[in-house]
Order: sequence, then structure tokens, then C-alpha cells
Amino acid sequence: MLTEPVSLAGRSAPSRVLFGPHETNLARGRAISEAHVAYYERRAQGGAGLIVTETASVHESDWPYERAPLAADCQAGWASVAAACRPHGTLVLAGLGHAGSQGSSAFSQQALWAPSRVADVASREMPMEMEAAEIRAIVAGFTRAAESAAEVDLDGVEVDAGQHALLRQFLSGLTNQRGDAYGTDKALLLREVLAAVRARIGRERVLGLRLSCDELAPWAGITPEQAEELARDLAREVDYLVVVRGSAMGTSATRPDSHTEPGFNLDLCRRIRGAVRDTTGATSVILQGSVVDPDQAGQALADGAADLVEMTRAQIADAGLVRKLATPERIRPCVLTNQKCRVRDNRNPIVSCLGDPRSGHETSDPPEDGADAPREVLVVGGGPAGLEAARVLALRGHHVRLVEASDELGGMLTLAARVPGRQRLARLGAWLVSEVRRLGVDVATGTAADLARLGAGDVIVATGSVPGPRPYTVHEGGQVLDVADLLRTPDALPEGPVAVHDPVGDAVGVGVAELAAAAGRPTTIITQDQVVGTQLALTGDLADANARLQRAGVRLAKRSVLREVHADHVVVTDSFTGAPRELDCATLIHCGHRLPDPTPVPDGVAEAGDRVAPRTVHEAVLEGRRAALALARTPVAVRS
Amino acid sequence: MSAAGRYRYLFTPLKVGAVTLANRVVFSAHLTNYAVDGLPSAQHAAYYAARAAGGAGLIITEEHSTHPTDWPYEKLIHGFHPEVIPGYRRITEAVHAHGVPIFAQLNHNGGQASSMYSRLPVWAPSPVPDPLFREVPKAVTTDEIDEIVAGYATVAGHCRAGGFDGVELQCSHSSIVRGFLSPATNIRTDDYGGSLANRARLLLRLVEAVREAIGPDLALGVRLCGDELIEGGTTIDEAVQVARWVEATGKADYINTSIGVATSTLYMIEASMSVPPGYAMFIPSALRKAVDLPVVGVGRFKDPLQADRALAEGHADLIGVVRGQIADADFVAKARSGHAGDIRTCLSCNQECVGRMGLNRWLGCIENPRTGRESVPLPMPARRGRRVVVVGGGPAGLQAAATAAERGHQVTLLERQQATGGQVSVAASVPSRAEFLDVVRNSLAECGRHGVDVRTGVTATAEVIRELNPEVVVLATGARPQPPYWAGGLERVVDVRDVLVGRAAPEGEVVVIDDLGFHQATSVAELLADRGCSVRISTSGMVVGQDLGVTLDMETFTVRAAEKGITQTTDEVVLGAEEDAGGVRLQVLTHTTGSTSEVRCDWVVCATHQAPEDALWQELSGSAEFEVHRVGDCVAPRRAHAAVVEGHRVAVAL
Repeated sequence: MLTEPVSLAGRSAPSRVLFGPHETNLARGRAISEAHVAYYERRAQGGAGLIVTETASVHESDWPYERAPLAADCQAGWASVAAACRPHGTLVLAGLGHAGSQGSSAFSQQALWAPSRVADVASREMPMEMEAAEIRAIVAGFTRAAESAAEVDLDGVEVDAGQHALLRQFLSGLTNQRGDAYGTDKALLLREVLAAVRARIGRERVLGLRLSCDELAPWAGITPEQAEELARDLAREVDYLVVVRGSAMGTSATRPDSHTEPGFNLDLCRRIRGAVRDTTGATSVILQGSVVDPDQAGQALADGAADLVEMTRAQIADAGLVRKLATPERIRPCVLTNQKCRVRDNRNPIVSCLGDPRSGHETSDPPEDGADAPREVLVVGGGPAGLEAARVLALRGHHVRLVEASDELGGMLTLAARVPGRQRLARLGAWLVSEVRRLGVDVATGTAADLARLGAGDVIVATGSVPGPRPYTVHEGGQVLDVADLLRTPDALPEGPVAVHDPVGDAVGVGVAELAAAAGRPTTIITQDQVVGTQLALTGDLADANARLQRAGVRLAKRSVLREVHADHVVVTDSFTGAPRELDCATLIHCGHRLPDPTPVPDGVAEAGDRVAPRTVHEAVLEGRRAALALARTPVAVRS
Repeated sequence: MSAAGRYRYLFTPLKVGAVTLANRVVFSAHLTNYAVDGLPSAQHAAYYAARAAGGAGLIITEEHSTHPTDWPYEKLIHGFHPEVIPGYRRITEAVHAHGVPIFAQLNHNGGQASSMYSRLPVWAPSPVPDPLFREVPKAVTTDEIDEIVAGYATVAGHCRAGGFDGVELQCSHSSIVRGFLSPATNIRTDDYGGSLANRARLLLRLVEAVREAIGPDLALGVRLCGDELIEGGTTIDEAVQVARWVEATGKADYINTSIGVATSTLYMIEASMSVPPGYAMFIPSALRKAVDLPVVGVGRFKDPLQADRALAEGHADLIGVVRGQIADADFVAKARSGHAGDIRTCLSCNQECVGRMGLNRWLGCIENPRTGRESVPLPMPARRGRRVVVVGGGPAGLQAAATAAERGHQVTLLERQQATGGQVSVAASVPSRAEFLDVVRNSLAECGRHGVDVRTGVTATAEVIRELNPEVVVLATGARPQPPYWAGGLERVVDVRDVLVGRAAPEGEVVVIDDLGFHQATSVAELLADRGCSVRISTSGMVVGQDLGVTLDMETFTVRAAEKGITQTTDEVVLGAEEDAGGVRLQVLTHTTGSTSEVRCDWVVCATHQAPEDALWQELSGSAEFEVHRVGDCVAPRRAHAAVVEGHRVAVAL
């Protein structure tokens, strides 16, 4: 069903899979860039039915992040995206929006616009209350932007009343406290915008609407009941409706990580579709919300929950997802870590993917496939770096032997997948293993290579890491358990209170504390920072992680530097004042940084992944792939 | 007194290698985030040129990266690409036009970086993860060390070709060279680790290689860290020894200094007003005793006299004044011409300079709207001599009035209170925030110089304004405290401003509610703790005073708060308040767990959002009699920078 064409405003989309608008940081200034074009083109090539470009601000009062596209600067870029995607039949729509009070004044140096004087929860910045002139400017901005898109023959536009949207702020009692007509009728501005846009683009172009149908704040926010009514009301105006949830109160709720079940909007979407079909029958309803499994997506269509599905992250993970639907086992899975694709961050990281580092880097990174003169290659190490190296080499026609010292493939990826809430990581490992086997790699587990004797022939070494130093004193009776050992045998957690030493602040320390608490151990997590899990700000899990820990009864030892481990307690000192204190602890779980495998290799042997420097799965895959491509590109004659 | 008499040392020339400096004030290296695609920009040239025009003795640019493995922040200049040379020329020509020498800083940040931008392993002496970036670096091999040395030489060559008068090696607060020098990050066992001589080997190789690349005519400086302020790090004795070795090479011309590690103890590198001036002078002082090379001292120099005294006391040969010249590009010229009182004095508030750097934004200044915008010329005034009435003498009104008058308009400013300053005066009444007052003191002085008619004690009604027969009215009427919805009209639930102006005098147990995440709550908490109150700050956020981290005030506040017994609780939302035996009983929800509780205290002080004072705007906007604009908190209550920027913008457009 997913690969069945669908008609929208008389235009035919080749599949029912949407690549939705999302922040990429690929813009050049505030314009759609060459990198954008290549990024979208690759998804069109892969069979996406519709692509909605990164939401562009319709008015200069909106500059929510530094590389946020500005509609006035986007026309040429939109035209290039359409030209690149059209040969594949994909419909291309311009994403249009205004972030209102969820924007930033850092770049515009102007007051934020909002329906009412309600400061954003995250930035705490007080916006100005829009008056008649600003409201007119918003309607005109949407109209002008839609006209601009139609001028270069885009297939339509999508209007944003979803997560980061002024139009949602007008719809919501959380943010709209106006006493005028726009307050008594909260949908008035949205209706005005939709009517003006439709008048400009006509019925022969697609008008989509992204609508938050549950703000998860029932005391004043949009509820599913209200959304049903709203959807019924607006359905006549639009060709499709994407059902999303979330508000400024919980920005992570819209594209959450793997702690939230995939397809979490299924019931909401079904409900909205029911309401819409009661009235018109013509408007397509699109399911959004961590839809990453093709089975789930297909089932949603079959069950009548939706007419199309948005699979944005799934197509970041595998640009060819739709084309591979006949052989779903070959689709690289999205594992919902949000580690590289969620890029709303001051540092402006480029959108990418844990498992496909070429995502977002289409213009600089070569594709991994291709055909070379076959060679015999040895890959040492069956973690993500070694598996990716072997996969890419085999894909290019080389004869690859992969040796892994342990009895299991997957390396640290396998262990990381045992952290609560991170189980989906195992799918990436399983996919790498299945591809390596499908491509005929000769895999030998339980086989150690003598690294000192390597050198004859083509070889890539990816033997991973070893536990790192423990920068604290362990006194007699003090028990320290390395996190990797714990994850190998989680049942081995001793009785008594547990303290988690987490100097890193990523998903591991938090997850292990949850694991210990779930096992009934009185648990403390120790961080030198003012907040636990600081690195999770990037993935969107920071606030949720802290709330989960508190609900699980985990004690948060913030601003604490671990100094001493004793038999029944640990000593920490305050990061700023140096004041010492004791915390109950029978077993300390060490989650510190690791060190590279120190076993030397002969000069000139290619190395990849943690044995270069222990980092995350993404860097391991990136380096494994690079090592493979470098080897593939080296002429045989030049190599000794 | 003449400038020469007032400043005995500041305006004496100094030779640094083959380069002669006209005075002792250095605009030392600092990040700007002005680079575009790794290249120096037109904004760089305009920014440095403005300080050269303002009389700086020497300008040292921000760092130029020497190797592709080094890319810790997005807008870094990739000095290793030859494409930088035209941009270098644009900078050096713009600065040389004012007769001022300019050096380039070379650097590789080493382990103080991540692979986010480079997509390459981070290089460092040893696999010791940086406390901020937390990425395990790759320990460089000796071949890679050779590559680093070659990279510095290449970039030094680019600098020479680009017209620089010298180069400086940043070996101090964020550098692979510091990484090698420091026993905290260098745990190597080869010729580059262990003894100090081994740890200094890379530095001494770099000095040789860079001198070779630049030849004898350009100056070469080395910036050293005198105290890393970290456990097991470099301290002053080792820094002195390294300075001696640098001098002994005979290849270096000066020593620059710094304190702290950028990714760990940054709050002492770019100290806010909570750290006393001159706090780092022990470093140049110790180095200067050990070497004959000129030594640069830095650390919150805000006043030319203060710099002159440091020279007089023999602490240093040159003084780095960075934020002082960010706030006023004419810092040196005004001192030299005997108008030091006209300098727009830096507040050391760190809000728009340091604070924006950490957030990957272009460098600006809270009180100088032109900083960061030097390459965008101001439009000529469309008309001159317009009659302008500004209502409100806070930072927005003062800036609007000063700029409008400077651009030739006839300006009258009306202020309801007996003195100008608005909320800034209130905020700066707390001892630890006193220097913040300079933002309005400076702009009031400018109003005076440009002939603004400042009338205080005047309540501006529509009638009063009409009587002045204005062509333009700028409303800068500010904001007023607004009790939170849960306050219930209780007398003992008061606003921060009530406490600071003396309308309320809380005693006993006080809960301060921090909805704003900045100095409001922490300031009043300190004040009340000093008065003997038992104070707790409560926030719905994850951290009390969260944005103090951005301005580097968090560490010092936390230490003071601990001394004063101030406690902090997070994740709490106040749902209601009732009177309780003369005090207040608060209903509190811990939103992370959903649990509720009741808290009794004697007073509640709210650091919460204000309401705009916009009655005049409602009355006058759309007036046919005159143009009406509004600026600052009466648009939306925000921080001081928004007020200054808007005041300036409206005045420029008149």
C-alpha cells in the first residue's frame, strides 16, 4: 500500500510516504542550498512520494535558528529542489511557517511576535503582543511565500501549525489570551492564512497543513477533542493534514527518541481522520510520529488510520527506503537515538544519521556503492566499524574475511543496546550483520588475529576499546563495576545501594541508573554538572531523562566530583565550592570514558573506530566506511 | 591635566622585535564568530579597523587554525587554506590605513574540540577527554606532531603573505600546545611527555619553525598560561621556566599571558564583574622578572588609568584591553586626547560578547549597538533637526535620545523619576552588580554631550507631550512588576524591584521564585542573605539562574551562595499562596514527579515576568499629529541589550 500512488489536488505522488519538513542546518545564509538539493534529491530517488522542504520563515520577524530558511530568500533553491526531484515523480512542497514566541531574538535583534504576552518555556523570553499591523503582515507573508513557490512551479505548500508555530500559538489557550476576535475565535488567523494561500495557489496545487492535535497540556492546550472539531472545520480548506502533537511545553514530544513507542500518534491520527472523513472525504490525513518501521506504516494505511505516512527519520537513515520496501530486511533501520538528526542546537550541527554518515553530506561524501576490481581484504573486529568496512567492501565486489575475537558480532553496539530505552540500537547491529552475510563476507567469530603480524595484503583493523582510567581512589572494600561488564551480565548487579559515576553525561549513565533503580537498588547518579545527562540536550531527552530518574527514585548528585570509593559509601566534592559529602554506595558503576585498544599494529595498517579514539557508533561507522572506500580507491599496484 | 601627565607610561612607544608600537594598549586575540565558511570576512576587517582608528597600539586577531583536525566551533578561520590570504590582506590593509600594526594568532585547539564539524578524530598529546567537549582524542604520533609543526609554518607563511606584522602562538587557554605543556593532559612517555623539557618540546619546535617561515622582519609572540586553575595543571613556576626557554631560542619577540583553561575555568579567563580587576597580574609580573622580552598582561582592564598603573607598578610592558575596546573602539584615542571620561566603559557583564561566543553567535556589546555591525554603514539621517520627544530615561530611552541628538535632532527626554536609569539603576543597587550601572551612566553622559534636554521628575501625559510640539515621539516607558497569577494579593508576596527599591523589607525565611533565570533572583537572594534572611531560590527550570552560566557568573555566584547559606531547589512550580500566621504558605508542584507539597515561609520574592507600561502607546499610536515609536520593555519586557538596540535602531531611522 505504501508504494501505491496517491492523488493530491489532482497531482499524483508516486508513493504514500512523506519526507517531512525538518531542521537540517544545510542552508546557505537563509537560502536553500546545493546541499539541501542533494539531500532531498537522494530521498526522491529513493521513492519518497512527497517532500516538504525545511520550514521557511514567511516574514523577517522570524529567525528561529541561524540557518532557518527565509521564504524571501528561497525561491531559487525551491526551484532547484523541484527540478532535482521531479524526474523521480516526487511532489515537492515548500514548508512555510513562523515560530512566533518559540523563535529567537539573537539573530534578528527584535522582539518576538506572539498572540499574547506569554514567555516561551525554554527561552523564557517575553514576546510582544501582535497588533493589527503584525497580524496583517503574517497573512501577507504566507501569501507572498506561497505565491513565490507557485511561481517556480512547486507542487504546493505546507503551512505549519505544528510544534514550533505561531499559528499553533494562536490556536492554543496556553498562548492565546487575546480579548479580540483572534482570541474569541482562536482559529481565525489560521483560517485567514489558509484562505489567502489557497486564493493565491489555486485548487490545482497542494495545500497541506501540519497541525498539533494534542498539545499534551489539557488544562489549556489543544486537546484531541478540540482538534477533531478544528480538523473538521479546516478539512475543506486543505488537501492534506499531518497530525502531530506537542507544544512549547514539551518540544521533545513531536519527534522523540526511542524512549517513546514508534507510531505513538496512531490513535490520535485515526481519530482525526474519522472526523475529517465525516465531513468531506477528500482530505488526506497523514500519520506522523516515530513511524520508522515499514510494517507499522503499511498497517496504518491498511487499518484506515491514515492515508499517507510521514517517515522522515526513517528516510534519513535509509534514503532508499521506499524503493527497498519489497525487501524490507535490506532497509537500514532508524534506531531513534536522535543523536545526529535532531539538530536544533546553537552549534548548528549538520543533519546526519547514526548509521548513515552520508546523510546530510551528500555533496561531500561519495556514495558507498560502486564496482572495483575484486581484492582479498581482511577486516579485524566485528563491531560497527569493522562491520561497516566489511559491508562496503563486499558491496563493491571485494572478497572480505571478517574476524572477531569474541563469540558475538556487534561489539559495543550490542552492549549499548542493553541500556534501558536503547534496545532499538540492536537493530542497527543486526542489519549490519545481515548485510555482511547477505553480501557473502566470510565471517569468523571466536577468532583472534595476531595484529603484530598483519601487513601482507589489504587489511582494516577495528578492534575497539578497553576500559579507561578511574580518576578516584578506591579504598579497601570499595567495589567498582565497569559499565561494560554490567551490561554483559546485567543480573550480576550486587545487592545494596548503587552509585553511577557518570562524567560523560550521555544516554549510558542515565540508562544504567534507571536499570539499577528498576532492579530495586537504592541508586544515586553522580555528575560534575549542574544537570544530569547534559549531552542529552542534543537528542531532546534531557528533561525527560531527568524526570524519569526522579520518578524512579534515583538520587541526583549534581555538581559532584567523585573522589573516593569505600565499602559502603563514596565521597564526592562540590564542583565549585569543593565541599565534600558522603553518599551511600555498596557498588560503584563506572561509566567513564574508554581508551583505544593498545595492541599495536604495523605502520601503515588502516585503523577505524574506537581503536583510533573511543567515540560513538556514528564515528565508528563513518571511519569504517572511509577506511573501506580508501582501500577500494587505492590502486593495487601502488600498495606493497 | 594633560593626557601625558595623567598617563606616564601608557603612551610611550615600545619596540616588539622589528615592530614599533605607538602605545601600550593591545587589542588582544579573542573569538568573534565573524568568519564565513572558514574565511575572514569584511566584518573582521571593519571591526579591527575601527579599533585601529580608535588608537589601539597593537591589534592581535582571533586565532587561525593550523590543521584540518582542529575545528572546535563553527566559525573558525581555517588558516591552513591558502584561500584565507585575500581576507588577510583586507584586514591588514584596513588596519594599516590607521598606522597600527596587526599580528595574527595561530593555533590548534588540540583536545579542546570535538569532531562535530571536522568529522575527524580530535588530536591531542594523550587520550584525555576534555571536560567540556568530552570526546576522547587520538594521541598524536610523532609523524602527526611533525604535521602539526608543518601546519603552523604553513599558516605563518599565509600570514606573512597576507600582510601581517607578526604572529602569536596561542599556547595558553585552548591549545594543543597547552595540552602538551600541562601535566593534566600530557601523560605521554616519549620525548614529548614526562619532564617539563619534554612537554615544552613541541612549543620550542613551533617557535623555530614559525620564525623560519616568517623571516626576521615579523614579530613572533608566545602566549602562555600562568595558571590553569585545574587539578594537576600548569602553575606559575613552570610557566616562568617555559618563558625562559622561549626567550633562550632567540627567535621570539614577546610573551603574552593568560589564566585558566577555556573549557574548564573560562570564568577566570573572561571574568565578569564579580571578579576584581587585576586578578591575573601575578602572571605577567612573574614572567617579566624572569625574561627581558616584553610581557603582555590582561584581565578586566576597563579604565586607561588602571592600565597605566599596572605599567607603573612594573607588572607588564603592554596591557591587553579587549572588552574595553569592544565597548568603545575609541578607548585609546579618548584617553590620549584627555577625554577618558567620555569612554563608554565596559561593564564586564559578558552578556553580548562572551555570552554570544558560547552560543555560536556573532560578537556584540550590550551598550554598543555598532559592535559587530561595523561593516554595515549607518544610513545618513534622512532629515536633520527634527523635534524628538523621548519618554522614559531607562536604557532604551537614553540610547534613543543620545543617538538621535548625535544625528542632529533636537531631543527632549522626559523621565518620571527624579533620576534617569530606569531598571538598570535598581538592578545595579545590589553591591555585586554595581558596575552594571555604567550602561546608563555612559548613555546619560552622551545625552549631555550631544545636547539632549533631559527633564526628570516629569510625568509625560499626552498633554505634556503635545505641549512640546514634537515631530517624533519615542516611547521608552519600560515595564512594571506584575504579581504572578497565584500571588493572591498577599502583602508578603513581593517583586524583586519592591525589595531593591525599599518598598518591601523581607525578613526571616524567604523563598525567591526564579522564573527569569538571570541575575534578578540571585541578586536579591544575596542581598537578603546579607541582611540575615534565610533564603531559598526555587525555579521551575533545571538550574537556578540558568543564564549565569552564559555570562560566566555561575561559578562565582554558587560559591558566594554557599557561603551565605542560600539553598536552591529546581523543577518546582508554585500553584498557589495563602496567608499563614503572618507569613505565606505556598502550594508547590514538583513537575517532574507530579508530587505536590506545602511550604511555609515569611516572605516570597518574585523574579517573574513584568508587564509593559504601554498606556501611552495605546493612547498615541496611530496619532496623526506626530510619528510614534516604542522601544525597550514597553514593547516586551526583556533584558537591557534589547532596550539599547531598539533605542539605537529607532533613532537611526528618524
